[in-house]
Amino acid sequence: MNTVKYLVGVILPYVVVPVFFAGMGYRLWTWFKSPQPARMTLFPAGGSTFREVLAEALFFPSLFRADRVLWFLAWVFHATLALVFLGHIRVFTGAADRMLQAVGMTPKGLDAMSGLVGGAAGIVLLAIGLLLLLRRATIARVREITGIPDILATLLVVAIIITGDVLRFSEPFDLVQTRIWAASLIAFSPVMPTNGMFLLHLALSQALIMFMPFSKLLHFGGIFFTQTLIKRR
Amino acid sequence: MTNESAMTSTPNNITESLTDDIAKEVINAIKAIDGGPRVLKLYMEMCAKCGTCATQCPVYVGSPETRFNPPLRSDLIRSVYKRHKTASGKLLGTLVGARDFNTADLEKWVQDSYSCTGCRRCATFCPFGIDNSVITRKIRGILDKVGLTPETMKRVVKVSLQTRNTDGASPKAFKAAIAFLEEEMRDEHGIDIKIPIDVVGADYFYVPPSGDVLVNPEATMGLAKVFHVLGMTDKWTMSSTCFDGANYGLFTGSDADMKADNKPYVEEAKRLQTKVMLMGECGHAYRIMKMMMEPGKWWGDLPFTIINCMQWTAEHIAKGRLQFDKSKNSEPVVYHDPCNFGRSCGITEEPRMILQASCADFREMYPNRGENWCCGGGAGLSAMDDILGFRMDISGKKKLEQILASGAKYVAAACSNCKRQLGQLMEHHKTGIAVGGVHDMLSRAILIDGKAGERRQY
Repeated sequence: MNTVKYLVGVILPYVVVPVFFAGMGYRLWTWFKSPQPARMTLFPAGGSTFREVLAEALFFPSLFRADRVLWFLAWVFHATLALVFLGHIRVFTGAADRMLQAVGMTPKGLDAMSGLVGGAAGIVLLAIGLLLLLRRATIARVREITGIPDILATLLVVAIIITGDVLRFSEPFDLVQTRIWAASLIAFSPVMPTNGMFLLHLALSQALIMFMPFSKLLHFGGIFFTQTLIKRR
Repeated sequence: MTNESAMTSTPNNITESLTDDIAKEVINAIKAIDGGPRVLKLYMEMCAKCGTCATQCPVYVGSPETRFNPPLRSDLIRSVYKRHKTASGKLLGTLVGARDFNTADLEKWVQDSYSCTGCRRCATFCPFGIDNSVITRKIRGILDKVGLTPETMKRVVKVSLQTRNTDGASPKAFKAAIAFLEEEMRDEHGIDIKIPIDVVGADYFYVPPSGDVLVNPEATMGLAKVFHVLGMTDKWTMSSTCFDGANYGLFTGSDADMKADNKPYVEEAKRLQTKVMLMGECGHAYRIMKMMMEPGKWWGDLPFTIINCMQWTAEHIAKGRLQFDKSKNSEPVVYHDPCNFGRSCGITEEPRMILQASCADFREMYPNRGENWCCGGGAGLSAMDDILGFRMDISGKKKLEQILASGAKYVAAACSNCKRQLGQLMEHHKTGIAVGGVHDMLSRAILIDGKAGERRQY
């Protein structure tokens, strides 16, 4: 058991980070070097390339015009993910707390806010994750095109959300311990985390991060390429 | 709802010995996507399978059958690409949606790729801008390489490459048709309105679809009248050897055929020392010239510019140089945005200007412009009568609803393919609605020599 804990908490982080950046970089590079004989412009073509592509990536206007329900689910899901991603900075370093305290927040207020926002985010993510799965199962046009990779990816994300929620809601989570662990990783003298649920959450998250450059989840980088190619002159 | 499939001629002569060669050729063609073009490569790796495109596809909305679901069609080659060109596909196989090619699939390839109208609505609404028509064209291109293009399409390409027009008309037949049009115009207006042919040094070289000379010639007459009114009859010309911009290489997916079909037109424009290539009311012809050939520099830098005749006429209407008697077109008229003009080339306002100037009751259908529904005959399908049932009851279903809702008695479409599909659609469903072009309406209402002192529209 300790071997598994050691693998997940001490070895894997040193594998996941380089694999993610190398994989993502490799994909971006292969797209970038691939020739582009003529643009596939779609009209009405936008006037401002950067701003419109950014708007597409941040607010999904194309999807909004096509399918309001999916737009709502997808946008809230992604926006909450981004929020949760930011919230995780607190898990790894006390720096964020110190900065917020410097602008006048009390440690107690900080914990209260984190509990409220983070807790709500965890519930929203879980609810939408399950709704997206339900959507795949019940709507014919989506069910028809759903393959094993789509289900696996969604299940993995939902599993990460569930373990994250368990960590948040079951007992007061020990941020000091994770901060020590993160600092030890950076100092290349890693200490082994002991919380079983944390290790499960960590293992699943690392699987997702490592999988990302090689799966459809890389749309998080690809969207800038496709939208630039298709909609703009 | 008909159950007729989009099935087209499929080979019964695939022998065992050939199977391996075909499989090898197909797999190699799919592997080559790794080297570009960039859009196609991205599409092989990006789809999130969210199901949005299906809600916007004229075929799937017309009949929600699994085989019409756009991502599944694209998966025909996407799965093989994943199997051969991605690390995850090689390692994990079906777990990541990778699957090897089987020649038995080719029949389905033909059916599925020739039931996409290439309208690009999916691309407009896809959150990632995935253009399934590009993938459809790739599938068709691979089929073409192994000789499996449907016979109708093969024949059109062959005729077009031999005679430079899709109708197979000779220069003599063309000249006879033009003489007939001049006679028609003399009957209509009592004066000579010329259509110049093969004039070297004319500024404008008009390249219509051959249908606008041989089948629905009113558009060509309309344009001749515009030149006449402007006193510019000596400034334009047609060519007796190059009078059909239609280019089915776009539809069969063969880049080689598309370029071979295109080249004589550029050479003819150079020979005529033209300053402006004036493309006719043909969406894909204009798109190939303006969006592919010119920016792609197929034949290097061009000594002429390329515009569309609707832009040209609309400009003169805007400047108040043309006058109309709208009472000649008193019935309600609706404009259908051909996908290749609206979504793919951004020409949406010019045809409306012409119709609003020449028709008493101009109407819109909704949605329109860049979001307009396809006529149901795009990507060459309108030439295929073996799938007439599919076109009338499935791919054209949404269009029929739109047209009926507009209350129009005349549908104007700036595209020969749309016109053929819409004409059949209106007749099949016994709507009594007429179909024609944009300059057709103009031809009926334009005032020649300002005889009746009509009011200006602009």
